Amino acid sequence: MWLPPALMITAVAGAVLAGFTCSVMGVFVVRMNLSSIGFAMSHAAFAGAAFGIMIGSDPLPMALLASFLVALVIGPVSHIAGLRPEIVLGFLFSLLIALGFLFLHMVPGEATSGAALRILWGSIFGVSRYEVVALGALSAVVVVFVALFNKEIAAMMFHRKLAEASGIDTQAFLTAILFMTGFSVALSLKLVGGLLVYALMINPTSTVYQFTFDFRKMVIGSPIIGMTTCLAGFWASLLWDLPVGTAIVLVSAIVLAGAIVASPKRRRG
Amino acid sequence: MNGAGRRPRPISSRSSSGETVIELRGVSTTYEGERTPALHGIDMSVRRGEFVAIVGPNGAGKTTLLEVVLGLLPLSSGRGSVLGCDLARERYAIRRRMGYVIQNFELDPLAPFLARDVVMMGFAGSLGPLRYPSVHDREAAVEALSRVGMSMMADRPAGKLSGGEFQRLLLARALATDPDIILLDEPFANLDASARASVGSVVDRVNQAGATVLMVSHDLHAIPSRCARAVLMDRGRIVLDGTMEAVLSSREIDELYGGCCH
Repeated sequence: MWLPPALMITAVAGAVLAGFTCSVMGVFVVRMNLSSIGFAMSHAAFAGAAFGIMIGSDPLPMALLASFLVALVIGPVSHIAGLRPEIVLGFLFSLLIALGFLFLHMVPGEATSGAALRILWGSIFGVSRYEVVALGALSAVVVVFVALFNKEIAAMMFHRKLAEASGIDTQAFLTAILFMTGFSVALSLKLVGGLLVYALMINPTSTVYQFTFDFRKMVIGSPIIGMTTCLAGFWASLLWDLPVGTAIVLVSAIVLAGAIVASPKRRRG
Repeated sequence: MNGAGRRPRPISSRSSSGETVIELRGVSTTYEGERTPALHGIDMSVRRGEFVAIVGPNGAGKTTLLEVVLGLLPLSSGRGSVLGCDLARERYAIRRRMGYVIQNFELDPLAPFLARDVVMMGFAGSLGPLRYPSVHDREAAVEALSRVGMSMMADRPAGKLSGGEFQRLLLARALATDPDIILLDEPFANLDASARASVGSVVDRVNQAGATVLMVSHDLHAIPSRCARAVLMDRGRIVLDGTMEAVLSSREIDELYGGCCH
């Protein structure tokens, strides 16, 4: 398939940067047991983007806003309702998906249906240059954050209460991590779609997790796997004319399955 | 027996010297979402270098008391100070000068942490943001591992250690920063006799070296021999506070432990 070079460069840059940010944040999300919150944020980003399309606005700010709102309300809602946060998250998953589909259903006219499908299934060629620049800026923020605060993050990943007891303001770091996770999800939405974006966080981290006991190697290895699988999925989608998001998630899932089978950690005493 | 509102019975004078490092006056705390306080009107002073065992049945409030001293739980009434810092306003300053060994928890066997990394995590809070462990800190971490007899296990995955080894690793993490006060929450839980003896002798040596030790233990037989003072708790209150011998031979402890402690 022949594609204009500018389009290819934007698409490849989008895939690499989304693979990078999502998989770095995935290390924290997986180890700090934030998977449910991250999953709810990705659904919220999908619903927010759908709402943006429905009202004829830019979907990206709406996706960001919705994912942050979910992160902010989970605690208070569970407290007021007297329910455990997992129960509230389970309720939110279905509600947000329903709202997302409702907003897409209410999109007026045929012309916008392409935009609606792009956030649902993902369209790497729909990624704009300013979204790539935003992903690049987020990648830089993530690198600086990890470089400056790796000892606090590692302590929190080991045991949050012990980290708090040693004098780390864990709530501040958790808030920062949730915000960066929300940004990563919202900016990667167009790449693989609202229903699959979370795989970009979980799969690369879980793959590297099979091979190392060293936290530093996880933080370095996860984005390498994330970027590689994004590029491989992109290439597979061009080769076999598959939806890009689907191809990326399938490639990363195959890599993860292979890693679980080959994992030396499971054999080591 | 120990009715609500009763003051703890002082049962003997304690031989303690030095400055007061922990001072709690009328301290109560309530967990978020609960109506009943988990601690009621706690009065307690601990002097530098003391070794205090906090004993009592399950649900007595022993762990809650440690969490209050660490500033992890807010005070609903009363006031407290630790190492001269106010518990309500200077929580982080207090925590950075204490070592805490949390109740034994299950670490995922595949967790990506080597033993030496876990010990270095002890410095994360005390150093503060944007400061990194020095060569001296790294040497202190090696020394801490050596003190708990785990020098040879520095490169082993933390999740693959046995219960006793993991407990000693958490102790090394707490000791690495040379804290003024060590708080131990059930350090002997789920340990066999030899692991208990090993952890107990490390705690003894730490106290001998001058650190103040507060140790929560449900198991009265596991308390190390150096421990001279015991605080008996029940339903969020201090029931008795005195020498180890006096508390162990008291009527109250027989009632709370069903006479099985002798």
